[in-house]
Amino acid sequence: MTVNPLITLQNVTKTFGQVTVIQDVTVSVYPGQVQVLLGENGAGKSTLIKMVAGVYQPDGGQILVDGTVTTLPTTRAAEEHGIATIHQELNLVATMSVAENVMLGRMPTKLGMVDRKELRRQARAALALIGLEIDVDTPVGELGIARQQLVEIAKALSINARVLILDEPTAALTRHETQALFAVMADLRRRGVGMLFISHHLDEIAEVGDTVTVIRDGHFIAEVPASTPEDELVKLMVGRSIEDQFPRRADETPALTEVLTVENLTSAGHFDDISFTVRAGEVLGIAGLVGAGRTELIRAIAGADRYDTGSVAVRGTPLPKGDIQAAIRAGIGHVPEDRKGQGLVLDASVNDNLGYATLASSAKLGLADFTGQRRRAEAVAAKLRIRMHTIDQPIRSLSGGNQQKAVFGRWIIAASTVLLLDEPTRGVDVGAKVEIYELMNSITAAGGAIVMVSSELPEILGMSDRILVMRDGRLAGELSAADATQDTVMTLAARDVAAQR
Amino acid sequence: MSTTTLAPTRRSFDYKTFLANNGALVGLVVLCIALVIATPDFLTGQNLLNIGIQVSTVAVLAFGMTFVIVAGGIDLSVGAVAALSAMASGWFFVSAGMPGWVALLGGLAVGLLAGIVNGAANAYGKLPSFIATLAMLSVARGLTLVISDGRPIKTAAEVSFLGGNIGPVPMPIVILVLAALVASFILNRTVLGRSMYAVGGNAEAARLSGLPVKRIIVTVFALAGVFAALAGLLLAGRLDSAQPQAAAGYELDAIAAVVIGGASLSGGLGKISGTFIGALVLVVIRNGLNLLNVSSFWQQVVIGLVIALAVGADVLRRKTRNS
Amino acid sequence: MKSSSFRRIAAVTATAALILAGTTACGRGSGDEASGPKVVLAISTLNNPFFVELRDGAQAAADEAGVDLYIVDAQNDSATQANQLATAAAGSTKAVIVNPVDSDAASASVNTLTAANIPVIGVDRTVNDADLTSLVASDNVAGGKQAADELAAAMGEKGTVISLQGVSGTSASRDRGAGFDEGIAAYPDITVVAEQTANFDRASALDVTTNLLQANPGVTGIFAENDEMALGAIQALGARAGAEVSVVGFDGTADGLTAISDGSLYATVAQQPAELGKLAIELAVKAINGDDVEATVPVKVVSVTKTNVGDFSK
Repeated sequence: MTVNPLITLQNVTKTFGQVTVIQDVTVSVYPGQVQVLLGENGAGKSTLIKMVAGVYQPDGGQILVDGTVTTLPTTRAAEEHGIATIHQELNLVATMSVAENVMLGRMPTKLGMVDRKELRRQARAALALIGLEIDVDTPVGELGIARQQLVEIAKALSINARVLILDEPTAALTRHETQALFAVMADLRRRGVGMLFISHHLDEIAEVGDTVTVIRDGHFIAEVPASTPEDELVKLMVGRSIEDQFPRRADETPALTEVLTVENLTSAGHFDDISFTVRAGEVLGIAGLVGAGRTELIRAIAGADRYDTGSVAVRGTPLPKGDIQAAIRAGIGHVPEDRKGQGLVLDASVNDNLGYATLASSAKLGLADFTGQRRRAEAVAAKLRIRMHTIDQPIRSLSGGNQQKAVFGRWIIAASTVLLLDEPTRGVDVGAKVEIYELMNSITAAGGAIVMVSSELPEILGMSDRILVMRDGRLAGELSAADATQDTVMTLAARDVAAQR
Repeated sequence: MSTTTLAPTRRSFDYKTFLANNGALVGLVVLCIALVIATPDFLTGQNLLNIGIQVSTVAVLAFGMTFVIVAGGIDLSVGAVAALSAMASGWFFVSAGMPGWVALLGGLAVGLLAGIVNGAANAYGKLPSFIATLAMLSVARGLTLVISDGRPIKTAAEVSFLGGNIGPVPMPIVILVLAALVASFILNRTVLGRSMYAVGGNAEAARLSGLPVKRIIVTVFALAGVFAALAGLLLAGRLDSAQPQAAAGYELDAIAAVVIGGASLSGGLGKISGTFIGALVLVVIRNGLNLLNVSSFWQQVVIGLVIALAVGADVLRRKTRNS
Repeated sequence: MKSSSFRRIAAVTATAALILAGTTACGRGSGDEASGPKVVLAISTLNNPFFVELRDGAQAAADEAGVDLYIVDAQNDSATQANQLATAAAGSTKAVIVNPVDSDAASASVNTLTAANIPVIGVDRTVNDADLTSLVASDNVAGGKQAADELAAAMGEKGTVISLQGVSGTSASRDRGAGFDEGIAAYPDITVVAEQTANFDRASALDVTTNLLQANPGVTGIFAENDEMALGAIQALGARAGAEVSVVGFDGTADGLTAISDGSLYATVAQQPAELGKLAIELAVKAINGDDVEATVPVKVVSVTKTNVGDFSK
């Protein structure tokens, strides 16, 4: 290859205190190529990105920009070299317009006042770079996450970015939105922009990437072509081969006891006339596009939101509307979609987080049961193999997978028998995913029932005994595990949507 | 080497973490040492007793504030509620002719009621606590003036007893210690206290875990109201009268004490022991500046700098936590 | 969804109602007889018994003279007072009596009023750089001197003294302090060992005096720039007040006079707030009727001790 890299991290090392986070890693970004960075959570990907973005300085090794040794002491310096980062948490001001966001920090002025006309013109020009057609006066907060991301990319390109770092850009996107993003990336590639791409979705790698750099525990493991089979990538990333990505073990002779009964549940604007039952020992998957009403349905059953009509019953006992405590008493456990925003108190300890659901029920005379709580938390942490130093460390410092296991652990301590899982493995790396699936197996084996909402079709197909497909707030169909394929599910999920287009 | 090096081992002494977690205590010790050197009058039994009495009002207010801040809110009304409770108690006694102990309990009940209104406006009315309690500050201060017509009211002997002595021990110190024990017990041992940390850390996660978040918030503000009333009665007891402008601006002292004590204004963190140290810092500074006869203009500068330092420690604390 | 928004509205309404109840109950004092000329009394604060008595004196005089008196309270905020004076200028106001929060800050508002030919009577504090129709005030500097003389007499013209100052930067504190310093300087055997602020506040004075006594256990005299602080100092002294340590206050409030009767307060320099209010109304009526008014009307400050306290107690 005669093309020179735009930027190279050469044998870089980074330590924090006594902890070495990155050890002797080399990675390059070439013009017109998508370099994929692959590794489990905590492998050191974000540290590498921050070195490129000028947030961290390497302690060893060097950074080459256009073949010249360069230091990037600030994000500003990185920007001056044409390096732009699209973070997972977008750097946009929700209340300001698209135009203002694109031009933030370099507003065109006339006589000391913002020149609105010029502002709009330049912003439109920036959006045109990626073929994004939206009203530049719309407040950014009113756009969906996908479009916000594109606005941020347009902003980066408008300041002549040559190197674009995309940190898990697809994590919050639907399949359709992801395709749109990939189209923009392909276009940028043609125009010679170099990209560093991070994703947990292995299937996206072959689709969009050119070369894959795999890191594990802060070490460089391999650089392989993006066409490398997924199994091989997983093996490189995890350091062992994962036998079975979806180890569902359904009961041979399913029980007939109905554990959860949902009848004609309706919430105007969210979901309409939903009825289903879940039996003991069963995993019911709920598939559908984002916005089909799956999360709203799950939350209504859990008592987190109120609904208009219909009923929810656990083992024949009806649950009052919008009453989380009653649902918990009936045996429901809800693992919400947004782990950090809804599942955990990040600054509280692992112990505390495991105990919230049982804080009141285990108390005597209003006094918290500390010794009992610690005993239960330690037992469940050991059972779920939550990796931590001590049960008193803030849960913030745990990896995504271990955090998610703690949310499950809370309901195991509460002896919940009906688990409502909303995107249970989002942001969880491969190894921990399998552990969560095994946990689901053990819950159903003990007679529990699980309802799982997921946007990852392989997960739905691999772990469900039965699949409901939702579309526009209604049940579009039901499939048995044997009949379900990606095609049958997607046909049900997207039929009307496709027809409308 | 591979996985173990990645673990954030914190075995060695980490001065940053220590300072961030114990900044208030270190500050208090430094302050006291400086004062012992600067003036022989500081380290005397009587002066320490004086400090104990003087810290009682602001510390009791700040204990109530700690609940609110731990639960992720703020209560700007505590000073005004303290004044209203004391004034109401005086009114019950003087104008309504109630027995002294009824007047005392009545004062506490007024604080409780004000707190419940604050909490309900926040939890059910969805008013930000800053706004709800700002409104209460104005209402309570106004009602205090209405009741008193701008004049001090004599308090019942039972209330004055709170400001007096029990044997050689000043009652304010006794009440301070009892209030600290009760507050600490609530925060550390009870379901309610543990729930406050959860609600302040992440209210939605707490709700989805089945904690009755709204009821907790109302209770938290109610507690702050009762502690404010107790502080108001204590102050009135020391002055033998309820003053219409009593405790004006004390809410800021209380917030400062809580923050100096290591709580985070974003909620989920805070301890009664820290708040107590924070209150001591404020009172020891004022005491020391009086002993040294420092000009009142400079006193305000010094107190402002201490609060800025405390907030700086809060920022440092969050930084160390997130990295 | 609906019910929660209903509850929100209900809570907001309840809070608003509470606030309204609070404010309407506060705004008492304006007479109903719409017949008389409208006079606005813009008072710095009603948080202090002194100004409450001033208001009561004005109200009584207004009732007698058939004046329709509107009382507005700036709660010690200059900006609030400026707004209140602007409102007064816009209405059918015949005269304004202003007790400025700050002597400098009020000048612009007062000039607007005088430009509109509305007579403005200053009361208790002057307004700088403004053309007041008349000023009714106690002489605080002279009062400070009188206080020094009383304290010196009580102490046998020797010993050490603590001075408790008012809110830093207010004219009352400046004038009283200056008068006291000047007066006490005439006694070579008396030294002022500490001057500290207690913000005109009883609770602060209690703490500050306690602390100062720690550093200066031998003091035999305390001067406080108002009675509230003097009462706080007496609280701090306990049984020593009046016996070992003589306390002199300023203002002559009801509580202060009671303390003189029981011997804990040696003396106070009585302003006559009710008299200030009454005179202000009389001057306002004169000005409305087009009569000549004196540019300054001094109201005597009187030293009150146990011997003459009976003349002042009501």
